Amino acid sequence: MYLELSHLKKQFDGKDVVCDLSLTMEKGKLLCILGSSGCGKTTTLNMIGGFLTPDSGKILLDGQDLTRLPPEQRPVSTVFQSYGLFPHMTLLENVIYGLKFRGFSKADARKKGREYLDMVGLADRAGAFIHEISGGQQQRVALARALIVEPKLCLLDEPFCNLDAALRVKMREELKKLQRDLDMTMVFVTHDQEEAMILSDSMAIMEQGHLLQNDTPERIYRNPANDFVKRFLNLDDLIWTQDGKLMKIISHQM
Amino acid sequence: MKSNLNRIEKGASGDALFRIFGNAADKLIIAVLLGSICLFVLYPIICIFWQSFVGETGLTLGAYTDVLKGYRTSLWNSLFTGVLTAFFCTVLSVAAALVISSSRGWVKLLLMGVILITMVSPPFVSSLAYIQLYGRRGWITYRLLNISWDPYNCWGVIWMQSISFVPLNALFLSGILTKIDAASIQAARDLGAGPKHILLDVVLPLMRPGILVTLLLTFVRSIADFGTPTIIGGRFNTLASDIYMQLVGYSNPAKAAAMNVILLVPTLLAFWAYRVMLQKSDKLTSGKGKQDTVNLKLLRCGIVGWIALILSMLFFVMMVLQYVCIFSLGFMKVTKGSYSFSLQYLQQLLKYDTATIWRSVIYALIVSFVGTFFSMLFAYYTERRNVPGRRFFDFLVMMPYMIPGTCFGIGYILAFNKEPMKLTGTALIVMACMLFKQLPTTTKLCSAALTQVPRTLEWSARDLGGGRMAVLRDVILPSMRPAFLSCFAHNFSSSMTTAGAIIFLINPGKKLLVFQLFDKVYLGEYPMASLLATLIIVIVLAVEGLVWLISWKEGKRRVS
Amino acid sequence: MKKIISLLLVLVMVVSVFAGCGSQTAPETTAAPTEAPATEAPVAETEAPTEAAPELSGTMKVVATSESYITLFDKFTAETGVKVELLSMSSGEVLSKLRAEGGTPSADLWFGGGIDAFMGAKEDGLLEQVNFEASEELDPTYKDAENYWFSKGLTIVGFLVNNTLASELELDIPASWADLLNEQYGGEIIMSNPAISGTNYGVVNCLLQTMGEEEGWKYFEALNENIAYYGRRGSDPMNKVIADEYAIGITYLDGTIDALLEQYDVTIVYPTDGIPYIPEGVAVFKGAENVDAAKYFVEWLYSNDENLALLAEIDKKPSVKVIKPTMEGIDLAYDTSILVDVDVALFGSQRSAILEQFEILMGDKAVEE
Repeated sequence: MYLELSHLKKQFDGKDVVCDLSLTMEKGKLLCILGSSGCGKTTTLNMIGGFLTPDSGKILLDGQDLTRLPPEQRPVSTVFQSYGLFPHMTLLENVIYGLKFRGFSKADARKKGREYLDMVGLADRAGAFIHEISGGQQQRVALARALIVEPKLCLLDEPFCNLDAALRVKMREELKKLQRDLDMTMVFVTHDQEEAMILSDSMAIMEQGHLLQNDTPERIYRNPANDFVKRFLNLDDLIWTQDGKLMKIISHQM
Repeated sequence: MKSNLNRIEKGASGDALFRIFGNAADKLIIAVLLGSICLFVLYPIICIFWQSFVGETGLTLGAYTDVLKGYRTSLWNSLFTGVLTAFFCTVLSVAAALVISSSRGWVKLLLMGVILITMVSPPFVSSLAYIQLYGRRGWITYRLLNISWDPYNCWGVIWMQSISFVPLNALFLSGILTKIDAASIQAARDLGAGPKHILLDVVLPLMRPGILVTLLLTFVRSIADFGTPTIIGGRFNTLASDIYMQLVGYSNPAKAAAMNVILLVPTLLAFWAYRVMLQKSDKLTSGKGKQDTVNLKLLRCGIVGWIALILSMLFFVMMVLQYVCIFSLGFMKVTKGSYSFSLQYLQQLLKYDTATIWRSVIYALIVSFVGTFFSMLFAYYTERRNVPGRRFFDFLVMMPYMIPGTCFGIGYILAFNKEPMKLTGTALIVMACMLFKQLPTTTKLCSAALTQVPRTLEWSARDLGGGRMAVLRDVILPSMRPAFLSCFAHNFSSSMTTAGAIIFLINPGKKLLVFQLFDKVYLGEYPMASLLATLIIVIVLAVEGLVWLISWKEGKRRVS
Repeated sequence: MKKIISLLLVLVMVVSVFAGCGSQTAPETTAAPTEAPATEAPVAETEAPTEAAPELSGTMKVVATSESYITLFDKFTAETGVKVELLSMSSGEVLSKLRAEGGTPSADLWFGGGIDAFMGAKEDGLLEQVNFEASEELDPTYKDAENYWFSKGLTIVGFLVNNTLASELELDIPASWADLLNEQYGGEIIMSNPAISGTNYGVVNCLLQTMGEEEGWKYFEALNENIAYYGRRGSDPMNKVIADEYAIGITYLDGTIDALLEQYDVTIVYPTDGIPYIPEGVAVFKGAENVDAAKYFVEWLYSNDENLALLAEIDKKPSVKVIKPTMEGIDLAYDTSILVDVDVALFGSQRSAILEQFEILMGDKAVEE
């Protein structure tokens, strides 16, 4: 397996936040960790990113043990919920920040930075500062900044939750396209069932620190592990047709 | 794109090296920060404590019993002055803060200008101006109002301390006022509250933690202040002025040290209370809303509004008078009771040894730069990182605030008079003393700025491959740019005007302007003292203006 | 910007590291301390006393009561090549600093200030003996028998009276110490705390000696009733009187006070029942960096009348003539017989006892039960 989490545990103040979590995923796929707030999904992500150290358990990526490495030495990059963009740098400077530590010359870094800004459709705003662009644009800069270092794994922490509904749908499509084009492996944390169903190659559903089910969306749809999963995903309101269409029933009760 | 990956693995440019050595440098910085705090704060204070137990025949508690028996009146006077000063000063500060933050346009500019100029107040000269204006033959009390009264008493001390501590407090309180969420005021108005009720029900309650902090800090400042009671106390003694007398008159450092330790008791209590208050204050006004002007018409706020207006006007008028007095004294000559304009003292000043001026500025600049970075780093490591014993160090850093300057200086001599740490007589000891004496305020300024820096920014930098040093260099320091300016300004003006701590550290050949000023005040050459004070104020304002301009231009360049 | 920040980071570290090592990192214009160790070695070699000016070098650091002495020290520099750095400090401050420095003084020469502090410093073993030929010519009353300190003059004390205030308040001009007890002067007399002012300490000590302990203390207790307050600076009495704040100041009298007559409406009073005085000291600090230069300065000052004359001119008083009676070319303006007859040696030995009692008398300190 490409990414392998085995028996991860994390406590805060004596409270179990992640309990014995084991999870695997393949290269080039997009895994969604789905759960309600407080279920331990962001904690899990932070352990993969290196911002938290697990109390026990292991994190393996492409055969390398990451468990004890500090964030800067992990071939992993993150798109934070609040983006974490540097307010004192321009878009371009933000995007090429990570290249500094990878031996790029300034010129090469800027060239590559422009490519990535172009990729997310912001080439013409390269010199702008973060506070001068919209939330959706900030989201793309954060994505470009994370992807430019060509990580082995990209983590996204509820990246679309600050965007309005229409923009969210558009960004989803763009993200999926980018992920496929770059053949990037991604872990995506969300509490939005619909987002997870649409985006993910496989879905890990968490509740109170425990992993309930990890499978492709369709298989989960067909065989939810228990009632909680069924209710949480509102499976009764979804129809997955044989030709691969997913439909949502919106009941209109008076 | 694949080819890039190879380079990523091999990368060995400067930045990559920066990452590799970053961790070691990180540890080194922690060691240097904590080490120097132990060396320059803890160790001198231990020396002071030690000194207080050393008698002529070995260890003794004699100094303590002597002080507790003989100087109870002074201790009581200190507390009395401290409490009343804290009260009056806070009332004035609240009034001034309300007026500043609710005014706009040129009025605001004018008031801020007065506050900024009066923040740079060289020691002693305010007291001189007080005697000149309100003394037995004061321009106002005698010449204008024709009353003859004795100004040398405790009320003079309380009044002088009260108005000279206002500028900093007013700035702090108006900072809190601007952080009040504008929506709360709008909500109150929406629900039918008039200006009076907005002031009483929303604004003042939200200021309450800030007011408590002001009270406590003023109390501590007041009981540690020796200059005011020394010059205008007359027969009124406080423990701080007694400490000064023990050092410069009776030459009895042991007794001075014991007095100091006793003075620390109420101070520590006040600080303990301060810490509790500050935490609450942060919670109440952590609103993101930042407004330039609080939408409040004081004139329509009923009696409280009027009181605030009158008090603050009184304060501003007194401040303006005081500084006009200082500026003009240097150009006046008295001949048989009548004043005439004279350039005589200015000519003397112009002949002054410019080396002293340059030395003062250079020392102050060094202290300001190093001190500002020290505070930023210290704030970062104690606020954001799990440095062992950080609470203890945080407490240690506050200590110089609680100790009268003269004693802190004596502590430095006691600590650094022997090999291998013989620093007495060097420039370093003077600068270190200034730096660590100012650290309490500057670290607080930096910590406050740091709370505005989201954690994810640090994480982003590390996540993208930067080490701990990159976090510091690329995230923490740039984000603290606003704090840099205020820290720098505070450091610079304090370095130019702090006399108490360095009186004993200054050596022949290394005079500083503020020492010259102290000397002139001591010798009674008031016109020269006034001119020197004016010179110091002008230098401080010029340098701070320059730094502000540079950082403003830098900011502008980056935005455009 | 980033580069600047990295640079400053390095700077912070460098400075702090230096601090740790105890070195100096000051961009000094006059890098005196760094020169000092270099000069120390050759000085030590020429330890043997020599007749002619010894090989002197480096910088001599002086704490003095005033910066006006710079012309005297300039002359010394011109003749010996020793640079002089001058700092103005009161004798109480000097003594506190010396005691705290624990035998490693940061100055070489102590110039001026009440003799009591010098006597105290000798007791504490903080002074260096200076033997030289011309010391034989000095009046033994005003120098230490073992040559640890010398006097550079006498401060004599009297009253300064503000005429305007005196007529306004209908006060008579006091003529004697006894007059000061008159209740018409209540709250109009100002003197400095004797702990801080050598001059006023001289008054207390001299009057206690001439009146006798018991009478003397009675006198000061009565005087206390009339004193407005005790200034915490030596210059307070003079300043408060010329500023029209108080009618009578107990102050030193010299040429500078005479000069006030032109600018202010004041009267100078030499008390008829005795003029207290206090010698002003000169001494070399033991264990100082440039002891040799300081020792030579003392010899230089007293051996050449020209130098003493210059000193008298700066001080605006001729009392060096009392110190060195053989001196020529200078006239003492007054007869020494007007000075109170006291034992100078008691200035030092009685100091702490007198000050302690005075502190209680002033009400600064409660009587210990």
